[in-house]
Amino acid sequence: MPARNVLNQIKERFEPSILRVDVPSDNRLFLYVTPGVVRDICNHVFRDLDARYVVSIGIDDRPYSGQFTVAHNFGFEREKVLSSILVNLPADDPVIDSISPAVPAANWAEREFRDLLGIEPVGCPSMKRLVLPDGWPEGVHPLRKDFSWDLKPAKFDENKVFAFDDPPEGCVVVPFGPFHPTLDEPAHFRLYVEGEIVRGCEYRGFMVHRGIEKLADTVLTYNEIPMMAERICGICGCVHSVAYAQAVEQAAAIEPPARARFIRTIMLELERLHSHLLWVGLANHILGFDTLFMQSFRMREPIMWLCERITGNRKTYGLCVIGGVRWDITPEIKDDINRILDQLEKEWIAAAKAVQGDRNLQKRTKGVGIADAALVKDLGLIGPIARASGVPQDCRRDFPYAAYDQVDFQVITQAGCDVWSRVLVRVLEVFESIRIIRQCLEKMPAGPIQLQLDDELPPGRIGLSSIEAPRGEAHHFVVTGEENRPRRWRVRAPTYQNLQGIPAMIKDQQLADMTISLGSIDPCFSCTDRLEILDIKSGDVRVYSQQEIVNMTRRV
Amino acid sequence: MISKLKEAVICLKAGKVTLPYPFAAEPVPARYRGRPIFNVERCIGCGGCANNCPAREILLSDVCQEIRIMRYLGQRCTYCGRCADVCPEHAITMSGEFETATNDKRDLQQELEVFMGTCQRCGRCFTAPGPLEQLMMKGYRQDDLPAGRWVYKSRSFLQSEGLPDIEIELD
Repeated sequence: MPARNVLNQIKERFEPSILRVDVPSDNRLFLYVTPGVVRDICNHVFRDLDARYVVSIGIDDRPYSGQFTVAHNFGFEREKVLSSILVNLPADDPVIDSISPAVPAANWAEREFRDLLGIEPVGCPSMKRLVLPDGWPEGVHPLRKDFSWDLKPAKFDENKVFAFDDPPEGCVVVPFGPFHPTLDEPAHFRLYVEGEIVRGCEYRGFMVHRGIEKLADTVLTYNEIPMMAERICGICGCVHSVAYAQAVEQAAAIEPPARARFIRTIMLELERLHSHLLWVGLANHILGFDTLFMQSFRMREPIMWLCERITGNRKTYGLCVIGGVRWDITPEIKDDINRILDQLEKEWIAAAKAVQGDRNLQKRTKGVGIADAALVKDLGLIGPIARASGVPQDCRRDFPYAAYDQVDFQVITQAGCDVWSRVLVRVLEVFESIRIIRQCLEKMPAGPIQLQLDDELPPGRIGLSSIEAPRGEAHHFVVTGEENRPRRWRVRAPTYQNLQGIPAMIKDQQLADMTISLGSIDPCFSCTDRLEILDIKSGDVRVYSQQEIVNMTRRV
Repeated sequence: MISKLKEAVICLKAGKVTLPYPFAAEPVPARYRGRPIFNVERCIGCGGCANNCPAREILLSDVCQEIRIMRYLGQRCTYCGRCADVCPEHAITMSGEFETATNDKRDLQQELEVFMGTCQRCGRCFTAPGPLEQLMMKGYRQDDLPAGRWVYKSRSFLQSEGLPDIEIELD
């Protein structure tokens, strides 16, 4: 019982403060603790028990229990346990001790629940607005249950501008983004530059919020959300739809059929393949080496066509429903997959050799964008960033889901901590993905691909699910609810954590290396910015009013 | 230097890979999910598609006692194919059409007028009891057709109250 072992370790020091314990399975642990000890217990879990910080979630539970709830999620990699430390807070005074001083990675998540739910993290080192737009009125919290999903706050101040910190002495401010040639999506970095060297930066993002989480707990139904979830991200869409479905299934104790689990695995790995090929292409493009950019996109295209043949679409697969998948893999498609994988493997061996020996690439990427193991631990960096820093961290092995417990694969690590190591990790992971898909095709059992669900899902249960997306761990948190929809659904996309590491990665580096350092985390801003209602372009040159933008973009 | 040669070989081996797309379209694969096509002869008006559409693109409204109108808007449709999945009569097929850019959004709309039986008690539309009961669909809705708006809260069950113009004869 690994979850019990973890529980006993925590109990040794904090037994009197634990109010309630739920251990629904061997690898899930839910601890309800008193508000006073939350920082100590998180510190103990994070530092002494060496758990990995995942995310913090604020929940408005007032219509059901009359309280707010805050959940701090941690992953115990050695024990293969995902756990949630929950605190109930009174409805009239939702105040909690910030855990950011002990767990620096929690900074964004705490600022997010402060913005969206009005739960005040006391002692948080940075209390600036993170998610809400600059002109959003104070004291209006869109994720609270009494805020209607289609409400627009009356006192929206179009002219308000974000207050950036003053630059350090002797530094010049270089604005980078929101619209920039090497950023496909909007985010603003305010770089403090001394000569050619970046001394620091401030980030202001969340410009493409789409209100997805609010929509999910007010309008959509359980089986409509996967179609929405896969539109969170343009590259790892399937990851989000599978992660959501698994979180709900885990909460409601539904076991999808074995064949469905294998099909999920195959699609997730196909997605990793085309994502890594895309990233290698884009990284070369950022570095100005367009030959390999073209070639890796050419090699990627057959994978996209393959996905289209399996699911009916190149990218948005519409794969998951609760309790299974929608598309089966027929013998003809199986032959197709094998043929295309053989072709890709042959071509990628040649490409990988060329990349590994390329001096120009090495000169641009070695020693750039350093993130060492200590930074990875502190800021909760994940995926290829962590693995390129020698931290063997991979949700497919640490918290097995779908059919990953039945296939054999290696976790690729490199020790360089720099962009070059991240290139190598991704280049080599392509071969592991090909291996996984081949094993799945071999071992896939016959049988149904969807479960017939006759009963309503039980309300008020919590589900956690972590999936190793191509960019790192994608984590979904679901509280099941009434009326065929969840009460709360929180998505922690991989870029959410990795982006927090950027200021440390680019510090004291050449300005010209900024783009590849940022590119090396494979940033996906639309994943990170999931859940808002309005967005305005605010910032450097001119502020457009929302009406002006609407008039510009829409023909009435 | 050797790696540059290797990269050149990769490029040479690839040859020409572009397709003459706008002039000659590649055939779409069998499972391709293009624009959904609604078949009025098969539709029984159960409203399952409308209740399962994630984008709320299918509206329905009863214009009189016998006619139910189903309107597919086709503007926000993401071609996910859930409507075709849940249709008990296979009246919806995901076609191979993907070149749907247009100047007039009405080009994408489809509207079905479905003849329904009339309930002798409440006067509202219903189909033959079998399929509706099988589906357990809470189908009855009054979406706002002129404004093209989906109505957020749909009533779950057929209701007899609220219809003052119909008198129910009691023996």
